[in-house]
Amino acid sequence: MKLGSYVVWAAVATGTGILVLLGYFIEVDLLIRVRLLLIQWAVLLAAAALLLGLFNLLAVHWSKVSMQDDGWPYSALLILFFLVTLVLGLLFGPDYEVVLLLFRYVQVPIEASLLALLAVSLTLAGFRIFAQRRDLLSVTFMGVSLLVLIGTAPWPFAGDSVLALAVSDIRAWVTQVWASAGARGILLGVALGAITTGLRVLLASDRPYGD
Amino acid sequence: MTGLDLLGLAALVLFLVSMLFYASAGRRWPVVFRPLAGLDALGEAIERAVEDGKRVHLSLGTGSVIGSDSAPALAGLATLSKIAAITSMSDKPVVATTGDGAMALLAQDTLRTAYDAAGARGRYEPTSGRLLGPSPFSYVATLPTMLDTEDVAVHLMVGSFGVEGGLAADFGERQNALVLAGTDDVQSQALLYAIAEHPLIGEEVFATGAYLDVSRLHRASLRAQDAIRFLLVVGILGGTLLMTLGLWP
Repeated sequence: MKLGSYVVWAAVATGTGILVLLGYFIEVDLLIRVRLLLIQWAVLLAAAALLLGLFNLLAVHWSKVSMQDDGWPYSALLILFFLVTLVLGLLFGPDYEVVLLLFRYVQVPIEASLLALLAVSLTLAGFRIFAQRRDLLSVTFMGVSLLVLIGTAPWPFAGDSVLALAVSDIRAWVTQVWASAGARGILLGVALGAITTGLRVLLASDRPYGD
Repeated sequence: MTGLDLLGLAALVLFLVSMLFYASAGRRWPVVFRPLAGLDALGEAIERAVEDGKRVHLSLGTGSVIGSDSAPALAGLATLSKIAAITSMSDKPVVATTGDGAMALLAQDTLRTAYDAAGARGRYEPTSGRLLGPSPFSYVATLPTMLDTEDVAVHLMVGSFGVEGGLAADFGERQNALVLAGTDDVQSQALLYAIAEHPLIGEEVFATGAYLDVSRLHRASLRAQDAIRFLLVVGILGGTLLMTLGLWP
């Protein structure tokens, strides 16, 4: 029974994957239609999975509140605001003034603050690099970061001096030649890794859907 | 079918054949890995976490299952199955989090299967694979509380991250956890290089399964990647030379 169910799931996943993949390479009308249909189903399933994920989110936090685990007041707040937003959205629609207000004056500022926090974290990480990893790569990384920063930011004085123009030119050379070449090399490696990962799923060697 | 389509299909077949070839040749011709400090330190850190009764956390990122950014998270799920087996006897088994509902379901399935295979079905809890927040920043905003309350000692990030990945790694550092982080996005990799204790650069995020010995095909994948990369480099250099000499239109 166990082996049977595993074979069925693996065959369905492999067959579906091959059909979708071939639809990208072989321009046969039937194959293209099947590919588009399967992708539409995947989008619908992903939307349903989001609902299940939200239910899972509620279950995790409800369990924390009922067990009075560490940090349970945060979980209680999350449940409260989750339900308030959900009920308002379901009753009055996503364009309701209060829902938009919550989005505009709560979610957007918090996300912007987190992004600002990233700048602080990066600055601290820059100092930490020198403390923890004093190797050639880290020194090069920090040197290039400083060069790009100085070459991009407006200078408070002598902005049109020979030195400022030279730094700006060096920055452009580093980002357009060296950084672009490096990024393309990394992207090539990432693409190769992504292909082998996909093929392992197609071969049912990796089975993220379980057995 | 255009010439480009044919070339793409031929490349896929070449990948498939080389992966199967290296998988079958793996026993006679054992694979030798170059040392990766982060992955070398990972095994020891997981053992220490299990002994100290602390938690291992695996973040599968904020990419969606149906998007083009799902590949690193799929590699993360393979890593999760191995870590779940290692930590199955721990007081606090591994927790996997994600910013996508479908990926949370896949994490739950992966954990259930791994515990079944390890003969520890009772250790499985549906809340071990969880959605932290449905958007990148809502995901990362809830991460510090999760890392603190779950007493996380190993913070792994194997998935797709945007700029929020930098913050996710920083929260792990503040928790004094071992932070091993990799993603497919080039700009986020630069952030992780600066912030994470052990960054995974380039395709190293896809190599975690091979280094953790998940399966023979994982090790074969690395060899196939290297072989095809060599062919690509030869092709790029040859093309550049031909264009320079004016022999290529």
